[in-house]
Amino acid sequence: MKHFTPGRTAALLLSAALLTTAPLAPAFAQDPKMGGTILYANNSGPGQLDPQMAASLVELEVIAHVFEPLISMDANYDAKPMLAESYEISDDGKTFTFPLRKGVKFHDGQEMTSADVKATFERYAEVSPGKATLADVKEYRTPDDYTFVIELNNLNAVFIDQLKTPVYPFSIMPASQRNKPAREIDVVGTGPFKLGEWVKDSHLVIEKNPDYTPRDDADGPDGYVGKKEVYVDAVRYNFLPEANARVAAMQTGEADITTALPLDLAKRLEGNDKVTPVTVFPYCQQYLIVHSSQAPTDNRQVRQAIREAVNVEDLILASGEAARENFSMVYPGGAFFVGDDNAGWYNQNDPAKAAETLKAAGYNGEEIVLQSNTNYSYMRDSILVLAEQLKAAGMNVKVDITDWTTNASNMQSGDGGWNVSTTSFCSNPILGPQQWQTMIYNFPHVENNKVLDDAYAKFYASLDLSDRVAAWKDIEAEVLDGAYMIKVSDRGSNRAIANDLKGFREFNINLFWGMWLDR
Amino acid sequence: MLKLIAFRIAQAIPVMLVVAVLTFLLMHLLPGDPATIIAGDQADQASIDQIRRDLGLDRPVPVQLWHWIVNLAQGDFGRSLMLNQAVADAVKERLPVTLSLAMLAFAITLPFGIAFGVIAAVWRDTWVDSAVMILALVGVSVPNFWIAILSVILFSVTLGWLPSAGYVPLHDSFSGWLASLIQPAVVLALFQIGYLARMTRSAMLDVLDQDYIRTARAKGVAVNTIIVKHAFRNTLMQVVTVAGYILSLLIGGSVVIEQIFALPGIGRLLVQAIMARDYPVVQGTMLLLGFAFVFINILIDLIYAYVDPRVRYD
Repeated sequence: MKHFTPGRTAALLLSAALLTTAPLAPAFAQDPKMGGTILYANNSGPGQLDPQMAASLVELEVIAHVFEPLISMDANYDAKPMLAESYEISDDGKTFTFPLRKGVKFHDGQEMTSADVKATFERYAEVSPGKATLADVKEYRTPDDYTFVIELNNLNAVFIDQLKTPVYPFSIMPASQRNKPAREIDVVGTGPFKLGEWVKDSHLVIEKNPDYTPRDDADGPDGYVGKKEVYVDAVRYNFLPEANARVAAMQTGEADITTALPLDLAKRLEGNDKVTPVTVFPYCQQYLIVHSSQAPTDNRQVRQAIREAVNVEDLILASGEAARENFSMVYPGGAFFVGDDNAGWYNQNDPAKAAETLKAAGYNGEEIVLQSNTNYSYMRDSILVLAEQLKAAGMNVKVDITDWTTNASNMQSGDGGWNVSTTSFCSNPILGPQQWQTMIYNFPHVENNKVLDDAYAKFYASLDLSDRVAAWKDIEAEVLDGAYMIKVSDRGSNRAIANDLKGFREFNINLFWGMWLDR
Repeated sequence: MLKLIAFRIAQAIPVMLVVAVLTFLLMHLLPGDPATIIAGDQADQASIDQIRRDLGLDRPVPVQLWHWIVNLAQGDFGRSLMLNQAVADAVKERLPVTLSLAMLAFAITLPFGIAFGVIAAVWRDTWVDSAVMILALVGVSVPNFWIAILSVILFSVTLGWLPSAGYVPLHDSFSGWLASLIQPAVVLALFQIGYLARMTRSAMLDVLDQDYIRTARAKGVAVNTIIVKHAFRNTLMQVVTVAGYILSLLIGGSVVIEQIFALPGIGRLLVQAIMARDYPVVQGTMLLLGFAFVFINILIDLIYAYVDPRVRYD
């Protein structure tokens, strides 16, 4: 359950105010109309739909409609049972028991049982890049058709939170898929939609699953969980890579909803009486990533000098994104938001201090390479402005602009001779510390950091939330103080919705149950 | 003639081999690793290594090249790393889109390009010539993504005559197919029309200065007959060469146009494959394009013999 901090209350009030004026408001006032096909202009299409291999947003969005996991996230991104009736954690935090919902059918008509669940987890542990979550599993047990038990070797206080992940989701598949190689499954889930026609690079259709039984313990949709009622016959994802084409499709009525609009293009839709542009928060957080195993930024003080020189306001302005300032690696209002204690390292904008820190670091004009790419203009423009800020503080900066694939690969591998780059993290700030861990270590290439290692050990070891929050506070402080990552902003997602598409809920991804066409 | 065709095809084999090896090496020289892209940024190193092993990317590059060539010789283009399907299937699915677009654009380019070139040459140094050549210059110079965006705003958003994006297969509906392609085809053709018009004009001017044209005029042959029969026919060699070049460019797929109009064609496939470092798809597509160039060149040679009786290959 989320706490109503001032920030969260303000956001809620703002949303409420928007809803009263926006044409989205009648969602609550009208009875849903049945039928029709929602046309969704999406920026690209999935390459594959094996949930256990899926990390890209376009894949996950389709998968969220077709498949369901045992545990998923509600509208506040907290863990809630989906295919599990409920869940029970043993006192020692090692055994997790999931009573399964009865009568849940796969799209091929078979009923889901614990054998399917077990097969899914076994395959996951073999093929999925997210399999580290299951590394400590001692055994899976299926005492009967409707009970699934996972036993771990050691206590894991956040195991349930790990199972709710929407990235490489633990979507339940029929046991027949157990030995299918990675990315080669039949797309058969239990979700409220099933896969229809799919022409790669062109379009993909998900059709209403007439045999779907929604959970009856909720009043309506709630994030990925709750009561999922489908009013439309189908949703057609049209893949329109060009943002101009997506805007044109909204203007001509060839699309009912679109996403990934650059801010300047979204503005073209203002004043259109058939379409409403919306910016959805929370979406992603932008960071500067500082390579801590590459000279000269392997020197903590050099990294800190970079952070001290950063003027976040100018970076946001340059990025041209709908972005908000927020010092934290999580969102205000969330369980792990630790208040202003960790705010001191944000937006310091103090080139003089940075110059002093550089001197103390023994910096001698060594080249600092800023790498970015041509594919994402917000990244490139932030890096170009950052270069000027760092030069003003006396750093010898070289800008290296490449393509996104090279840039991203270099960030992951640590190769390419870069010192600073920039990217956005979308699911990690929402999902919390356990999801941050890989990125915190991998992107800045952290080596031998005892503060982080100890804090993470503490984080996993306590069943008490307050201990875990305290551990996270240390982790966040170390990342920001050590300038492994420098926070830039919270970026919103610019979308547009036809005024006669009702029931839209602002969420990290677009979810089509509970939506209907008023025509 | 048959001997010539066989000879040209035999000649094409080493060309294709060079294309194949060069593409392979260039792709593998690019930084960036498909395994990390497939795994996603949340993956740990062990998972990335496993994917690399599964895809055979952990083997030395010469070994990968050898395996690829051996498979190629058996007609196996390999499997796409990202699309999870055979490269041949991926290309086969997209080829009709690109061919439809190319043929339609070509069908628009030929009459307009030639007509403008001939008109400009016949009325050389008059306002007609200037107007046509300025238009041709605009066609060649203005980036087609910009024209495409303006065209969508005018014909789709404002007038509502044509769909703004997307592709309708021919077997679904002819009118839908034509409506989905006419706008991208015209935008694509604008550049080619400009290019062809300029080349035709220059070829026509050379011919119109020849003695035999003056002779024809002097003996009172009708102007239209001189232009069509005596002058234009003698420019055909150049026109065919340029037209062939244009056609091979079109079959290469227009990356920009396919992107803007969301046409699932070869150009879009190629760009996505390059971004994703999907080596087999890039290699397979480049080979196909190489083959298209070679094939069209053979075709042009055959047409030479038809349009110019002096050309004999035996």
